[in-house]
Amino acid sequence: MTTLASAPEETVSAAAPVAPPRRRRGRGGKVTAAGPLTYVLLGLTALVSVFPLYWTAVAASKTNAELAGTPPPFLPDADLFTNIGRAMEEAPIGLAIVNSVVVASCITVGTVLCSTLAGFAFAKLRFRGNGALLALVIGTMMVPTQLAIIPLFILIAELQWVDHLQAVVLPTLVSAFGVFFMRQFLSQALPDELLEAARVDGASTLRTFWSVVVPVARPAMAVLAMLTFLTAWNDFFWPIIALTTDNPTVQVALAGLGGGYVPDTAVIMAGTLIGTLPVLVVFVVLGKQIVGGIMQGAVKG
Amino acid sequence: MATVTFDSATRIYPKADRPAVDTLDLEIGDGEFLVLVGPSGCGKSTSLRMLAGLEEIDAGSIRIGDRDVSDAPPKDRDIAMVFQNYALYPHMTVEQNMGFALKIAGVAKDEIGRRVAEAAKILDLEDYLRRRPKALSGGQRQRVAMGRAIVRNPQVFLMDEPLSNLDAKLRVQTRTQIAALQRRLAVTTVYVTHDQVEAMTMGDRVAVLKDGVLQQCDTPGALYERPANTFVAGFIGSPAMNVVTGPAVDGGIRLAGAVLPVPREKLARASAGTGRVTVGFRPESLEIVVPGDGGTGGGVPVVVNVVEQLGSDAYLYATLGADDDGDVLHTADVVVRTEPRTAAAVGQTVHLRVREDCLHVFDPVTQLRVD
Repeated sequence: MTTLASAPEETVSAAAPVAPPRRRRGRGGKVTAAGPLTYVLLGLTALVSVFPLYWTAVAASKTNAELAGTPPPFLPDADLFTNIGRAMEEAPIGLAIVNSVVVASCITVGTVLCSTLAGFAFAKLRFRGNGALLALVIGTMMVPTQLAIIPLFILIAELQWVDHLQAVVLPTLVSAFGVFFMRQFLSQALPDELLEAARVDGASTLRTFWSVVVPVARPAMAVLAMLTFLTAWNDFFWPIIALTTDNPTVQVALAGLGGGYVPDTAVIMAGTLIGTLPVLVVFVVLGKQIVGGIMQGAVKG
Repeated sequence: MATVTFDSATRIYPKADRPAVDTLDLEIGDGEFLVLVGPSGCGKSTSLRMLAGLEEIDAGSIRIGDRDVSDAPPKDRDIAMVFQNYALYPHMTVEQNMGFALKIAGVAKDEIGRRVAEAAKILDLEDYLRRRPKALSGGQRQRVAMGRAIVRNPQVFLMDEPLSNLDAKLRVQTRTQIAALQRRLAVTTVYVTHDQVEAMTMGDRVAVLKDGVLQQCDTPGALYERPANTFVAGFIGSPAMNVVTGPAVDGGIRLAGAVLPVPREKLARASAGTGRVTVGFRPESLEIVVPGDGGTGGGVPVVVNVVEQLGSDAYLYATLGADDDGDVLHTADVVVRTEPRTAAAVGQTVHLRVREDCLHVFDPVTQLRVD
């Protein structure tokens, strides 16, 4: 599949005649230059992934009538800014983006921090009930969100937090998935010797966490941050219950767009487009943090 | 500088049926280089970790100097440890790795810089101070781990098989360097290894452990000359000492029909009650004799299986035949060191004699040395 030149060598060196050489190469983790076919496949995948975003931009710059035509339009129009303007008038999208950034950032910071702390404790600290507590945490993942919505709403209402952002932030500050994810990562990526070295060096547990655990956990923290930010940004169910269109998050605001006898697809798409841009920025920023091989050279063997 | 004392220190892991370290009594002198050695699972690393404070002490106590540190956390023990896999902080440079402990202790920045530079000079690491561990070779990483211990200027160095990840050549070289460095710094050092050559070459004294129990603690020379029991006898020295058990007869032990002379008094004490005796003799203390030569019974006959030529020496791997009297069927493998030029051929029967005063006698039941 990759370089043709190396194929004969591979066949010769593959001593076991049962295993086809190509499979061996695939599992061996050998780094070879990508061939044309790889590029074509990757390019196609990229196209398929990017197309919905492009279509959003196209649709956001048309009118309903143009969108309904055959063939559908494939090039964006100059009407984009008009449509965005109409979307901003129909719903407080500016406020919604600010709200969503605040909410998603708080949830992301809270989840990553709490999950890393808890994951570290579950993975590396010895305490009574460690296993049982972890099982309990994982068990909560099996409880459907819908089941907790009504009691949660009653609680929030009693606190008079309805239509306040803390109603959306606080219930999701830590996630069972995040705890489990960080625990799994740290239990295999963080050698015990590193923690013992820090202990002998005189670091307290908290100091060890900041100076040793967090640097090692950074790639996983970045992944968790991306996932959490995306989930928080896209969350609709709980925000539309706890908030109103007076103080919405992006998804709540979008729900109020293009209403009327016929949904105004162009306006909805325009709103969606500006509601998506901040997420793209987060991806670009955090993607760089996921650097592989940071543990290389810490311990031998 | 300080002494280290293990006072009946015991460690029992949860759910284990026997202690990992069983009432260890050990006194380590000020500035002494003590090596803990033994096969894997003998409790040597556990002992070291108990001293480091990484492992609890279930009974007994450990003192550094006059201070009982049994319940003290690692940071209050004034020790520094070198780990088997080095345990360098991957995201810190060599400089930061070495200075981390001082930084936590709140030492002033320029003082940290001075001490790191000093240690780097000793260890020849000056050119690598700004590198991360992953950009270093195995030997350099090992030196950084040493440096991290040195800058702390601790009362005790703890080293847990620090050479086991190096290749053979570098290991021999580093072995000498560590020993020299320790003499120069004169810091009390406890060194764990499973390699008896390392133990013999580096230690002022060597403590041999087996199954969590201290077998013997003495100078390398004494361990070699006067092993306290058959385990130490077999563990120290390479190739290992030959240890065989046979019936005690008048004047010695009967092996393969011949009699190997054993001093009368030792024989009497070792064989009391059982009529048997265990003897040990090193490959290098054996001589090949011509049968019927002299009054010593002509030597013990063995059949050569393999001849190993090492250039300076040759080793014969031979089988000690069964007793032809038929009452004790005893075969054993025996290793003999000989001159390379006069080595016997495979399949040949040679007769062996043990050089005078080179025979070790053990009680066959207790396995203890009889003097």
